[in-house]
Amino acid sequence: MRLLTHNYMQSTVKGTERGYPLKIEATKIEFEASPFDAEFIQALLPKIDYTTLLFALKQISENGNADLAQTIIPELPESIKEDGEGEVDEALLKKLHTVMFDIHVVEGELVCPDTGRRFNIKMGIPNMILHADEL
Amino acid sequence: TKNLEEEGSESADRPFLILSFQYDYVISKFNIYNDDGECIKDDISEVSTLDKNSKRTFASILSRCALIRSVIELWGSGTTTDSCANSVKTLSMNEHGIKLLSRHMVDTTSWKITVHTLGSKYNREEQNEMRAKFSFLNFPGKIQMKDPLHEYIIIREIELDFKGSPIYPRRGIHKDIIPEHDKLPPLAVYFGRILGGRRDWRGGRLEKYNLKSRTYLGPTSMDSELSLIMTNLGKVRKGSFCFDPFVGTGSILLTCGLRGGYCFGTDIDLRVLRGRSQNENVFCNFEQYKLERPELVRSDNALYDRHYRCHKPIYDAIICDPPYGIRAGARKSGSKLDQPRAVPEEHRHDHIAQTKTYAVSDVMADLLDVAARTLVMGGRLVYIIPSMTDFDVNTDLPRHECLNLLHICYQPLQTELGRRTVTMEKVKEYNPELKDKYIESVWINGTDAAEKCERIRERLLEVAKLKPDYEEKAAMRKKRRQETKEAKKKAKYANQAKSDST
Repeated sequence: MRLLTHNYMQSTVKGTERGYPLKIEATKIEFEASPFDAEFIQALLPKIDYTTLLFALKQISENGNADLAQTIIPELPESIKEDGEGEVDEALLKKLHTVMFDIHVVEGELVCPDTGRRFNIKMGIPNMILHADEL
Repeated sequence: TKNLEEEGSESADRPFLILSFQYDYVISKFNIYNDDGECIKDDISEVSTLDKNSKRTFASILSRCALIRSVIELWGSGTTTDSCANSVKTLSMNEHGIKLLSRHMVDTTSWKITVHTLGSKYNREEQNEMRAKFSFLNFPGKIQMKDPLHEYIIIREIELDFKGSPIYPRRGIHKDIIPEHDKLPPLAVYFGRILGGRRDWRGGRLEKYNLKSRTYLGPTSMDSELSLIMTNLGKVRKGSFCFDPFVGTGSILLTCGLRGGYCFGTDIDLRVLRGRSQNENVFCNFEQYKLERPELVRSDNALYDRHYRCHKPIYDAIICDPPYGIRAGARKSGSKLDQPRAVPEEHRHDHIAQTKTYAVSDVMADLLDVAARTLVMGGRLVYIIPSMTDFDVNTDLPRHECLNLLHICYQPLQTELGRRTVTMEKVKEYNPELKDKYIESVWINGTDAAEKCERIRERLLEVAKLKPDYEEKAAMRKKRRQETKEAKKKAKYANQAKSDST
């Protein structure tokens, strides 16, 4: 699971409306550099929730592999500054790319902030199916 | 209602099409780059420099267009081989033709003439008779049958039916020639030089992407050619955000990746998502083609807006083959029991939740609604729907206020069964407050149309059972299945015993 995907995921267990963003308790994280496409990242920015991205990044840095966090995971600013034409500085775009695409939570759990319900992640695939009594 | 399909019209009757354009027109539509990455569009008058670069242009056109068999520089055509040869001779004598052919006259490189006879087999002798008519061209180089530098082609086109079979086949069931058919003149004969063919696709043969060589397959994997066509209909390109809500073995999503798209797939079936083992799963398929890891989530498309925040549209393309219960059953969240049993807390996160049957009418309604909600404006939904002969495109396709129906492409599969690839485009902003209204209006003809789909498996079985040898064939199939199963078991134990002893 990449942090971009986490940006959209929520818990609606028993109809809760406070199931976003999900907490991340990662037990295995992998890092895989991928090709950077500035245009793609620029187009993606208005579609994501930046606060959630920062939150997710913090979760990853705190638990999981600490050495990994130190060496590879970049730091992101509190907010994204755009220039006159709404363009973002390329260095920042590269960091955003790394955070959104190159960090993979391979094993772990996503936790609903309201109900505490845990959704597991195995082989990088989160299992979000709700049980009949949670619908 | 607009009639979107014209079955029986001319184009529908000609599965093999030759589209011809003026050279300048084609070249004007594309930029041509030389080896140094410089655009040499303005120098196209120099035919010799054009040669190498046009090959690359055509190679890139071919890599995008799965259905184009080859790009040919047309030298002549006619209604018989003789008249075709004459038109080539005429070309060789005019100013433009002389320039065109002069390159080949001084060439000492290898060449061959391929004879392509549509829908009929001609033996080597007969083919050489046709080749002989063009011997006046007098190519100086040597003939090389395997991978020559220049390949020329003679195409003999005859009339084909909508399935691609000859209307007047040359040979009967026992391969004997039918003289009345054999005497019939062809529709046309063409001669030209091949500028690019399937061999140029992505630097290797198209067959490389064939399912046969794929690591992880399932009964529902989409054939690579149709996947390529679907990505074209969906306008998937580099940077497209692609979504497949019924990802299964990932065959369609993989093609989105091949087109440069960012891939996201979901499925309710955890087993198919996780694959058979560490070495046999969706990720392995992507790795096999050197693509980035796709994003996969186990979620229920019937509850898309419960799993994901939908406040902003994000997808450029949604390309999928929804489950119709023909080869794989459709499931959604929930229990078939009225009082579902509660899962104990400690097992909740790990327990595989119960699922229940998902009716086709709901599968499609949910798909269209999710597409309307999550596609960006101008984004495309491309999906497959199976249909039998009683399918009516004007009433049997699902609709949505926010989506415009663009294309319907029909592919016959069996006598009674075919499938349609439907393309829709988002043209109107989605209003979440109108969700119920949207869903209600999906099937304008009530759910009869959806039920037609749902009952296809039953109906095909009914048709099959009427055949005289049904019982016999069914028994044979069962026997063969058991034999394969036992053979696999034996092989598995043999392997295990081998690895245990080493």
